[in-house]
Amino acid sequence: MRRIKRLWTRMLNVATRRTGDGRLREEMEEHVALQTEENIRAGMAEEEARRQAVLKLGSVEAVRESYHAEEGLPTIEAFLQDCRYALRMLRKSPVFSVVAIMTLALGIGANTAIFSIVNAVLLRPLPFPEPDRLVRISFNEPGLGLRDVPFSVPELDDLRNRAGVFSDVSTIASTSVNLTGTGHPERLEFMVTHPSYFSMLGVAPQIGRLFGPQDFALGFAPVAVISDGLWRRSFGADPKVIGRTVRLDNDPYTIVGVLPPGFRHPGPTVSGNVEVFQTAGFSGYPAPPPARSTRFMPASVGRLKPGISLAQAQARLTAMATQLRHDYATDYPAQDQWTIEIQPLQEALVGNVRPMLLVLLGAVILIVFVVSLNIANLLLARASGRQQEMAVRSALGASRGRLIRQMLTESMLLSFMGGVGGVLTTVGTIRFILRLVPSNIPRLNEVRTDGVVLTFALAISVLTGLAFGLAPALQSAKTALSSAIREGTRGAGWSAKTGRLRDALIVSELAFAVVLMVGAGLLLRTLHDLLQENPGFNPTQVVAANLPLPEPNDPKADPYLTVAQQTSFNRELLRRMRAIPGVELAAITSDLPTTDLRLNDAQSISALAIEDRPVESSLDLRAERIRISPDYFKVMQAPLLRGRFFNEGDEDSKQPVAIIDQTTTRKYWPTRDPLGRTLRFGQDPTTPWMTVVGIVKDIKNDGLDTDGVPHIYVPIYQSLDRDLSVVLRTSLPAKVLEPQIRHEIQSIDPGLPVFNVSSMNDVVDRSLASRRFSADLVGGFAGLALLLASFGIYGLLAYMVRQRSHEIGLRMALGARRWDVLKLILREGAVLAGVGIVAGVIVSAATTSMMASLLYGVHPHDLVVFLAVPLLLFVVAVLASYLPARRATQVDPLLALREV
Amino acid sequence: MKQKTDVKQGTLALMVLKTLEVLGPLHGYGIARRIEQISGELLSVNQGTLYPVLLRLEQEGAIESDWGASENNRRARYYHLTREGRRQLKSEVQGWNQTTEIIARFLSAKAENLS
Repeated sequence: MRRIKRLWTRMLNVATRRTGDGRLREEMEEHVALQTEENIRAGMAEEEARRQAVLKLGSVEAVRESYHAEEGLPTIEAFLQDCRYALRMLRKSPVFSVVAIMTLALGIGANTAIFSIVNAVLLRPLPFPEPDRLVRISFNEPGLGLRDVPFSVPELDDLRNRAGVFSDVSTIASTSVNLTGTGHPERLEFMVTHPSYFSMLGVAPQIGRLFGPQDFALGFAPVAVISDGLWRRSFGADPKVIGRTVRLDNDPYTIVGVLPPGFRHPGPTVSGNVEVFQTAGFSGYPAPPPARSTRFMPASVGRLKPGISLAQAQARLTAMATQLRHDYATDYPAQDQWTIEIQPLQEALVGNVRPMLLVLLGAVILIVFVVSLNIANLLLARASGRQQEMAVRSALGASRGRLIRQMLTESMLLSFMGGVGGVLTTVGTIRFILRLVPSNIPRLNEVRTDGVVLTFALAISVLTGLAFGLAPALQSAKTALSSAIREGTRGAGWSAKTGRLRDALIVSELAFAVVLMVGAGLLLRTLHDLLQENPGFNPTQVVAANLPLPEPNDPKADPYLTVAQQTSFNRELLRRMRAIPGVELAAITSDLPTTDLRLNDAQSISALAIEDRPVESSLDLRAERIRISPDYFKVMQAPLLRGRFFNEGDEDSKQPVAIIDQTTTRKYWPTRDPLGRTLRFGQDPTTPWMTVVGIVKDIKNDGLDTDGVPHIYVPIYQSLDRDLSVVLRTSLPAKVLEPQIRHEIQSIDPGLPVFNVSSMNDVVDRSLASRRFSADLVGGFAGLALLLASFGIYGLLAYMVRQRSHEIGLRMALGARRWDVLKLILREGAVLAGVGIVAGVIVSAATTSMMASLLYGVHPHDLVVFLAVPLLLFVVAVLASYLPARRATQVDPLLALREV
Repeated sequence: MKQKTDVKQGTLALMVLKTLEVLGPLHGYGIARRIEQISGELLSVNQGTLYPVLLRLEQEGAIESDWGASENNRRARYYHLTREGRRQLKSEVQGWNQTTEIIARFLSAKAENLS
């Protein structure tokens, strides 16, 4: 209490600059006067009495100093004084200060921005109560190399009732749906859950109610919960939306509740936030009757019971899976090794973006290193210029610690200003930055500059301030007093010690630049290779559009129930597309190349049976089924290798046919001719066999970076599916065609949404968005690092030339030619660059394997990158050394020598 | 070096408080004189060091000060003990007694008593 009171008074004194100096003087004068009188009374002469009194009082200055120290807070006052002085110094060299603060702001700003994303996506717990109890449950078949295989209703019941580790489990089936009845038809991200989904997460509605036990139905419950975004966009945030009926894939649903604004489904979604939620029991119509082997539910999440750890739960689930495999041997073939695994939901959610974000974070941290090394070098150059000042200060009694503190205050002030600039830049631009971030990164809506982010920015600022301030501070404080004052008058020479420190700084700066550039080089090369990659079709002059058909639960509301119905729609669709002026050819496909509208590989790849193969070995036969109209390969300009394309005659009533690609051929008919052989999808023995009539070259259907998936094409007139895209070969741009495409399609069915109308080139491009983002970002940082490193080496050599002009003049006077001088300086630059580059290459070689998962077709130790980067940096470094070297040759020996 | 002054300052502060308790309000010179009379050694030189201690005690609220007239009718600053100061003095005296007692016992201890 006493201390606080005293501290408070002292702080007040500092703040108001109040001093009791006058009072002290008066008191001491009185003291001396009284003592003098006393002494006179004791018999001294007046003069002697006064002298003795003053002696007895002691040193007035010392008393005043300690009185003042008691009065205020000396440390703080010294700090403020240092700050004022530092500000004056910064103002005195405005160019240096502005450049330093701006590069720092850039570095710290980039760090803050990337960290705020990393914080929201990877670090911050999910915004639900007790988020660490939420787990993602997956069913795997390691025997077949499959993860996340679908599961059946009895298996879900096992999780809910038998496992005993979950307080709740919900299925999550994410897909999209056509919304009609709100103006124009819309395609929405949509999700079917168990009624307990929201209560399991712990979410409360914004208005209305969420699902509860009363919504349990064998099939679909006729109720829907909508997102805040959809509520605002399509219903004008009308609170009376509760109770309104909307049509989702033609079925009527009553809206019962609106989710709060921040809610986002904590799992991977097809294209963004889920906007409509439905609930279903999955055990009545339209779902098939529940049977253990009828596996169609895609994924599930659960909440662990309190007191059960992840490991305990996993152990019990593994035991349960073993028991189930034993009890239902026919449903779980031994070679599949069916098993249940759980993973913290947060990990499952961000697993696939973690490497990319960590590489980005690594890149921004490297750039801060480069920035601070660069500034350290500049400061060191200034520090050598200030040796005299330091020497005078220390001669006047400043201790070494005091000098270091003053220098550090200067650099801290610099980094703090840079930090403030960086944070302000981030806050100002984060919305813009987020728009560049690929939208498949989850939880981007949670990105904000919160306390954690600010703390991080502060820490980075302090660390960089220390990093670039410490070396120059120690250096200048170490300078021997006498020599500095003496040297100072003669224009300080090139001291070997400072020189070595600066060399070390520039070498590490170059090394960090190499690491960044190698990383960027690998990413850019991956991107470049992917762009060069032959996708198996010609995307130029092709326009694509998506028009998914609704899939109502009520068969009476379904105009696309039978193959005949779908065929007549498809024929009419193609007729109208071809009739659009400027369209040469039109085709339909169920799977637009390089777009992956399905989330789960295991589910988009169907089981397959091949007639002349024994059934027991058929379990691992799988291929992706793609439905196309006859002209599809012509529109895409994909070459036919053998056999024939489909034609209008491949209809429902005719012989079922199929076209396979090279991968399928290699995988399933490695030695025999597949033409004329038969196969079928699924294990149902009543499905008719399809005859292979053609072989095409591989098309990169699943993305440019995905190989080895076998594809089987089937005629659209012989099969049922609702995912449709049209592809048109035309020389017109997508924008011009879009209104006509939409008009023609909606003249057939006004309830069909038409979206993503874009050129096939754009479609391919979009599939690379996330790679492009990281490659561009890291590439930009690498460019910046290269620039800073060349500034650094230029600055160092220019300074050295200035300091050594005397020596150079002497050399020239003794007969050195211009070329010798040029060589002298250039060699210096080349050696520094060489050492830095070698160090950087070694560090890179040791670290690039960490980013292997971000590379495609490029080895982490790619020779081209590992040769090109050092070469580029070396050339730039030599160029940067050339300017100071040329200046060295222009030294006038006479002038240089006279200066001594 | 720092610690030494701290100990000395602590002692000095305690003496100031005790002096003010016994003699009532006094000015700086008066306090210095009393302390010199009683302790001799401590304040026979460098009497000025008293003033930072007075300031410190005042900031802590143990003493208060007012301008008043000195014996020779000049302006002088008189210090007096506050209620808080009395409390502080009491607890410090207690602590001091305890310490000296322990130290005394410790110093007078003989080997056979310690076994």
